[in-house]
Amino acid sequence: MLRFWGWALLRLAAVMIMASFAGAMLMRIAPGFSSDDQELNSGLSAQSIQAVRKAHLADANIPHFYAQYIGSLMKGDLGTSRSLNQPVKQLLRERLPVTLENLGFALGVGWLLGLALAIAAQTWNIRALTFLANGLSGTFISTPSAALALVFLLLRWPPAFAAALLVFPKIYRYTQNLLQQSSEMPHVLTARAKGAGPWRVLAWHVAPIALPQLIALVGVSISIGIGVLLPIEVVSDVAGIGQLAWQAAQSRDLPLLVNLTMVVTFVTVCSTLISDAVQRGVTRSAA
Amino acid sequence: MKAIRFVAIAVLALTAFTILGAHYLAPAGYEQQFRELPQAGPSAHHILGTDDVGRDRWARLLYGMRVSLVLAPLAALFTTVLAGLVGGIAGYFGGWTERCCKLLIDLFLSVPWLFLLITVRAVLPLNISPEASVTVTFALLGLLGWAASARVICTGAKDLMKSEFVWMARASGFSGLKLIRLHLMPNLRGALLAQFWISIPVFIIAEANLGALGLGVAEPLPSLGSLLRELQDSVTLRPEPWRLLPLVVLIVVISSFQILLNKQEVRS
Repeated sequence: MLRFWGWALLRLAAVMIMASFAGAMLMRIAPGFSSDDQELNSGLSAQSIQAVRKAHLADANIPHFYAQYIGSLMKGDLGTSRSLNQPVKQLLRERLPVTLENLGFALGVGWLLGLALAIAAQTWNIRALTFLANGLSGTFISTPSAALALVFLLLRWPPAFAAALLVFPKIYRYTQNLLQQSSEMPHVLTARAKGAGPWRVLAWHVAPIALPQLIALVGVSISIGIGVLLPIEVVSDVAGIGQLAWQAAQSRDLPLLVNLTMVVTFVTVCSTLISDAVQRGVTRSAA
Repeated sequence: MKAIRFVAIAVLALTAFTILGAHYLAPAGYEQQFRELPQAGPSAHHILGTDDVGRDRWARLLYGMRVSLVLAPLAALFTTVLAGLVGGIAGYFGGWTERCCKLLIDLFLSVPWLFLLITVRAVLPLNISPEASVTVTFALLGLLGWAASARVICTGAKDLMKSEFVWMARASGFSGLKLIRLHLMPNLRGALLAQFWISIPVFIIAEANLGALGLGVAEPLPSLGSLLRELQDSVTLRPEPWRLLPLVVLIVVISSFQILLNKQEVRS
């Protein structure tokens, strides 16, 4: 277990170092990086303007800029948004709870719907139900999140429900395939042949095989959920980090955008690591 | 299921003919403005009416479909080549090369795709020409969407490297390039083809999302994404439901792809 966590933390560190380096590089190469609004301030003396330029010249050295960026990150300083003129940390504190609340709802409903339909389709094997479930998942997997958000806006339905409907097809399809594969295994066929009912087969023979892989899907679904929430927050005017990222992209506020992406990456990698650890635990206890 | 697949093929064939014949089906073109008819309803001359500046919506839909449905496969081809290179190198060499490639793949898979796309898109100038915006949008999709496919190719290449016929080929003195050309590439072709087909609908949807957010193809060039952006005026949408046609077309085309994809995946 200790070895697993050691490797997991090493992987997290490597991914975050690479992500931060890529982020710093993006900020560095973005047009307008070396200019500053203060240079246009007529109240500043020539020496002050020279000092501002000198500070920017120091940033032109990429290793120096990256070291400074990492140093600030280590101290918990995520920088200041250029467009909103507010610390990124404060913006995150305001917006993150909104996104997390919507994400929680979307994942809860998406998982419930996906699992319920996949289990129902597998257990009862009713053609009409399978057709309906496949049709629903096919429709929502083919719909861009921005478009579904627009439809929900027109119907005045909650935007988080749109996110749930976009998460649902991935859960449904994966679970259905998993249950299908598990139910074709020899010991499941034997249990059926001995007269075990569908719910008993599901609970005692299929679920233990499918559970570890479903737990691994939880981590992936968090990433999917964050991805679909971005356009939904923009279209539905929800003040979450998705909308903040879009605003930052529109106003080319790279410090804000890169730090937001870093935070999202950290959340995604951590959730994947935790679900991997739980998956290992479940697999071991089942063995 | 056979009937549904037949319908899906028919839809895609009809779409292909429509976008190829856009010039004949919508002679007005996507740019021409009928200034005396802004926001007109459907008529014999303008099947879907006109937009705010008097451009024919039908023509914009056809040319928008052409942009999205021709360039998404090109981006998918680019991403498949990239995935084949990274995944193939990782699987072929193994060891530290594989670990480094997998770390890169992990990095790309850890960032939600749309965040990555808008971050990189924001670095590029926003006021570029329509033609450049199309190239940039689809090139970005191709450049950033390879990671999931690369993981599949890497696993496939790794399994092949452990197979008996590759061991025999190596024992017979096959060099690296010859081994790749004669044994790895032909056996990875199925997986690469599947990744290519899977990427097409994903890229069409990603472009639609980017376009709807105003970060995709620039005006006046239409794409399915930029046409969706027009739907954001929800006040006028209720009395003009025909404006939802681009969304319906998008869902029908992607659904047709998804129906055929299941078959393609099984075959590969």
